[in-house]
Amino acid sequence: MKRTFLGYPRSNGTVGVRNHVAVISVMDNCNPVTRAICQAVDMTLPVTTLFVRGQYGHDLEVAFNTLAGMGRNPNIAAVLLVGLEEQTTEEVARRIRPAGKPVEAINLQPHGTINAVAEGTRRALKLALGASRARREPCPVSSLLVGVECGGSDTTSGLTCNPTIGAMADRLVEDGGSVIISETSEFLGAEHLFAARAKDEAVGKAFVEAVVRLEREAVSRGMDIRGTNPTQDNIRGGLTTIEEKALGAMAKAGTSPLRGVLAYGEAPAGKGLHFMDAPAPAVENLTAMAAAGCQLIFFGTGVGNPIGNMVAPTVKVCGNVNTLLTMADNIDFDASEILEKSAKVGAVGDRLYDFAVEVASGTRTTSELLDIRETAISRFAPTI
Amino acid sequence: MPRAIVLDRRDNVATLIDSGQPGQACTLQGEASGEVVLLQAVPFGHKVCVRATAAGGDILKYGQVIGKAAKPLAVGEHAHIHNVESARGRGDKAEG
Repeated sequence: MKRTFLGYPRSNGTVGVRNHVAVISVMDNCNPVTRAICQAVDMTLPVTTLFVRGQYGHDLEVAFNTLAGMGRNPNIAAVLLVGLEEQTTEEVARRIRPAGKPVEAINLQPHGTINAVAEGTRRALKLALGASRARREPCPVSSLLVGVECGGSDTTSGLTCNPTIGAMADRLVEDGGSVIISETSEFLGAEHLFAARAKDEAVGKAFVEAVVRLEREAVSRGMDIRGTNPTQDNIRGGLTTIEEKALGAMAKAGTSPLRGVLAYGEAPAGKGLHFMDAPAPAVENLTAMAAAGCQLIFFGTGVGNPIGNMVAPTVKVCGNVNTLLTMADNIDFDASEILEKSAKVGAVGDRLYDFAVEVASGTRTTSELLDIRETAISRFAPTI
Repeated sequence: MPRAIVLDRRDNVATLIDSGQPGQACTLQGEASGEVVLLQAVPFGHKVCVRATAAGGDILKYGQVIGKAAKPLAVGEHAHIHNVESARGRGDKAEG
């Protein structure tokens, strides 16, 4: 029998694991209004951003597409855009409308802050009343698109949490679901193994090119990658080189074939495992995954990284006994039995898959309940 | 006795899953067995050399190259950034 979870079916055939009204800032100067509206209305989720004003070309396209992608995410029942002026706001709105959900917009010009907050609150209330009529129903796990991430890594990451996430990812792909792994720089030294799993030569080549491009960029700037990756906390946790970190990080992707390569925030066209070419730091990487439509994210950590995504609930998985004690309030799933009790990774992965179905059905994560969530869209050019 | 995991038979480093003190014997698990005596303190999660490696030699973990020995490594030596270096993303070594 096909495995199911209790989700919110959307009109376009996708399924949400949460049912929020996203209040999305079109640019940084709108954030105070976005926050004020979200404080006033339950069920709303503030998706704030930095910059956008002054961005241009590809960099601006990425910003618009990423904001809109978060609005299109199946976890979002309806969207209220908060903009400065109509034209820019419409750039984001028109990218969300095809998802078939209610999209409303308010602009600060010429109404001013108090009027914008009042009008935004009125509209958010209406959207939330409508969204609250949705009910969870059994939906196939094949409708899940899951992001796999790691951060605050140490040597336990490659031995416990990442392989456990990988085992869960394999189960989900077997059941018809989809997985995105990203963090391009964290493939340096492991790319030959991952490329060998590509479904065909073109996909393998596209993946290797992304890694080569990044390394060439670092080298051409005279940058020694050791200064940034592994990070200081990775090194304290025993990780010596980027190659060692990459081999451990890759374990999150399990063993299924690589089906496609995605640009920053791009949604996969098919099912199965995909690679997204995006910067590794967690907040911007999780933002890209949420924009691609991931409803859930599994985040392996060793020395501890508490951050989660606003739109896609983020499950923290840890197998380091010390971190599980000191940062217990930031961890959702304990994988320490692998090192402490010689438990099989596959068995712990099965348990994580059960937990994934539970979280998809409504069980909340620590980063949701403590609101340890942030949004950051990567920048690819300077602001003018 | 501290425990250290060897992930592949080809590996010349093992990962400690307890912290170890100088002179303490450390039990090898996983793809190797036996003991190595630690030459220095090795913190939880850090690596110890389990096969003598010359300067410039490959450091292997997961059966894969994770870097080069920057100095000769003796059995029992703490293997980390002071004696192992990455070969990737090294703009500092690029030809001017």
